[in-house]
Amino acid sequence: MKKLCYSAFVAFWSSIATLLALQAVATDEAPDTQAGAAVISLEELAVHNSEADCWMAIEGKVYNLSDYLPKHPTPASMLVPWCGKEATEGMRTKGYGRDHSPMAWEMLQTYEVGTLADGASAD
Amino acid sequence: MPVGLAHGVLWAVGLLPAAIAALALPGESLAGTSAVLNALGRVSGIAGLGLMLVAAIFSVRIPGIDRLFGGLTSLWRTHHLMGGVSFLLLLAHPLLLSLAAAEVSIGAAVTVLFPATGGLATWLGWVALLLMMIFLAPSFAFFGPPRYQRWKHLHKLSGVAAVLALVHTWWLARSIPAPWSTVIWSTLALAAVLALAYALLLARRAHRYPYQVVSVAHPANNVVELNLRPLGESLRYQAGQFVYLTPRDRTLSAGQGEEHPYTISSAPEEANLRIAIKDLGDASRAIQSISEGSSVDVMGPYGAFFPAHGNEAELWIAGGIGVTPFLGRARHLASVGHPVDIQMIYCVQDESRALFAEELRALSEQIPGFRLTMHYFYQEGPLSVDFVRVHCEDCGERQAYVCGPGPLNGLARQVLLESGLPRHRYHSEEFNLL
Repeated sequence: MKKLCYSAFVAFWSSIATLLALQAVATDEAPDTQAGAAVISLEELAVHNSEADCWMAIEGKVYNLSDYLPKHPTPASMLVPWCGKEATEGMRTKGYGRDHSPMAWEMLQTYEVGTLADGASAD
Repeated sequence: MPVGLAHGVLWAVGLLPAAIAALALPGESLAGTSAVLNALGRVSGIAGLGLMLVAAIFSVRIPGIDRLFGGLTSLWRTHHLMGGVSFLLLLAHPLLLSLAAAEVSIGAAVTVLFPATGGLATWLGWVALLLMMIFLAPSFAFFGPPRYQRWKHLHKLSGVAAVLALVHTWWLARSIPAPWSTVIWSTLALAAVLALAYALLLARRAHRYPYQVVSVAHPANNVVELNLRPLGESLRYQAGQFVYLTPRDRTLSAGQGEEHPYTISSAPEEANLRIAIKDLGDASRAIQSISEGSSVDVMGPYGAFFPAHGNEAELWIAGGIGVTPFLGRARHLASVGHPVDIQMIYCVQDESRALFAEELRALSEQIPGFRLTMHYFYQEGPLSVDFVRVHCEDCGERQAYVCGPGPLNGLARQVLLESGLPRHRYHSEEFNLL
């Protein structure tokens, strides 16, 4: 057990270091695109309100989640009502008061298509 | 309840939250590599915390309870193993979650581990894990063999780590269905708090016996046998059990006010308590010069080396200071006077290292059916199957009790099993840190 735990301890930090090194390299190769440049109004957002074409506004940013819906842990039908709408509440509470994980928030960034027009995010 | 089953129950309780979480996983959790890694990451975190809390709860030394588990040493062994498994699972937990996010991007994988904003729960988890690395480093000898006191102090960090890990889990909890998550973690946390409160407050009063050092015998130049007179109620114990002893002698150069485990060498019928201590570390070295008249606190008794009621034929193998539980038992048998069938093999380097040999020889003449055989390393070499067979033809049919330094215990086990002793008849007691 002593050797196993020590090996795991070393392997753990090696993995963390590898991951950080990979990130450093990856960032160099993939500079940010113009994601988030577009300003989107609530009217425009409301057009994308189906499972096949689903946009959501969350905390001032707009995301195109059409490709993601099939991958979501709970069935897509739970999310469709939020399509085309300001969905911060859904993201922050999952409908029962629990926030999504840091991983979920990070994944969300990859689907960003623009910023919600000023003043449009008020509930 | 059989000892094996008792230990199994501990594992089952520790793994129960993870089992519930695994059963509650939605079907989609197994669709795709990323989802599987994420599910494994969550379940490993839950299993790690469950085992960590259970290991913490039963690390409380309640005299008597340890007998259910085959003695405190056996309980420590499970605690050590459970702590190790918990550590492995908790190391895997963040890595698996991070790998699961790598499907999105390397950046996402890093952010899972090191969230830029709003990830307080994650950072609490990190602090808990780093504390665990610190308090387990001596337990698993990351940086050389541990020093007892440093190990003990560092191990107290486990309380802080457990609290932070619980907050982390409660905050991010979503794997176990809603009411159960709260019920399970609250129950385990409450049990841990109660166990700790018991250890810190009640146990000190309920199982602590004040004694006074009446005299100190020196059976060898690095061994003392303390003769202790009860200052209040006497400790009740069985031969071969051990206690945690806290010397209060202010003139000691080390170990004053610290508790260390030592085996009782007296017979339970004696009015005074005798404890033999070999110089094996700072505290046990200092105690060699403990002042007569000083007071000590004794907590216990612990251990279940010998069965409470045993009338089978026995084989004893002792090495060095490991002779103490046998000495206590032989003194007890002499005062009881019943015939027994016991063969003792006492392994020492040479005659000068044979602690209490004179007394044991006298006891072997006094106790009907008790035979003592000396094994001198310088003459015979390491203990061998042949030696055991020559001196104990029917050793495979006996209950074997072994107590000595780690290497002797290992050798004796090997020799006895090779000589045909069934595994369940082998019993050993260790006196080193696991």
